[in-house]
Amino acid sequence: MMLILGGAASGKRTYLLSLGYGPEDIADGVLDEKKVLYGLEKLVFADPEGAQALLPALLQKEVVVCAEVGSGVIPIRYEQRQAREATGRLCVQLAAQAEKVVRLVAGIPTVIKGE
Amino acid sequence: MMLILLTGGSACGKSTYGENLAAQGPKPLYYIAAMQPFDDECLKKIARHRALRKDKGFETVERYTAVDILQLPKTGGTALLECLCNLTANEMYIQPETPVDPVEKVVAGVENLRRQTDTLIVVTNDVGSDDEDYSEETRAYIRYLGEINARVADMADRVYELVAGIPICLKGETV
Repeated sequence: MMLILGGAASGKRTYLLSLGYGPEDIADGVLDEKKVLYGLEKLVFADPEGAQALLPALLQKEVVVCAEVGSGVIPIRYEQRQAREATGRLCVQLAAQAEKVVRLVAGIPTVIKGE
Repeated sequence: MMLILLTGGSACGKSTYGENLAAQGPKPLYYIAAMQPFDDECLKKIARHRALRKDKGFETVERYTAVDILQLPKTGGTALLECLCNLTANEMYIQPETPVDPVEKVVAGVENLRRQTDTLIVVTNDVGSDDEDYSEETRAYIRYLGEINARVADMADRVYELVAGIPICLKGETV
């Protein structure tokens, strides 16, 4: 499994498409049979408490793409804080098991784990 | 006298990485906890952090303010200061109605701990990568913590940003 991370509008989708994946391979914010899950953060924000249960299915994907949502001021709303933290923790677990982790900054991919 | 600064967003793996790094350092190991148990959520966080570092051999020193005059029980070991974001808020709101500039106090706190330890690991948070849609007071906090982060990074031998538990070396050598 490859994990692609980066802030909002950092170039994650462009990078994903450059790897040869097409729209037919990409599931946007839903967990289905497709090779790529794009927007893991949407799934977690919809149900932060269920985040952990997603892990086995995510590990079966070829690629998981998640926005980095943990930076900036800690939100005042409890639910928002929980969702941010659940996203971060899930990404730590995914990264630990991923063969490769790529982080996008201003459209530039940096391999931070693997070849 | 090694100073290591760890930064990153919420739940990026800073604490776990910091604890594991500290556990490899010279003994004794001190965990300097700056988070005040205000409410249930803080208590849960504190309990989670305690569970994470259980069996790693830390002696916990709860210190919410005035780290600049903190005297560790013994000098020469390793200390993990967690974290500058809490310490900064605590110093800023030491009198809640009249916030003060906490920068010198917090930086002096890091300098004080550094003098007493062989290895000092400091955890902070990236609160500036966000929009500007906040109150004047919150923006002041962002500026103060940004200045503190820059000053501590300048003093530090190594600075790492944690991304999903992976350390990215921003200063010094990669371990």
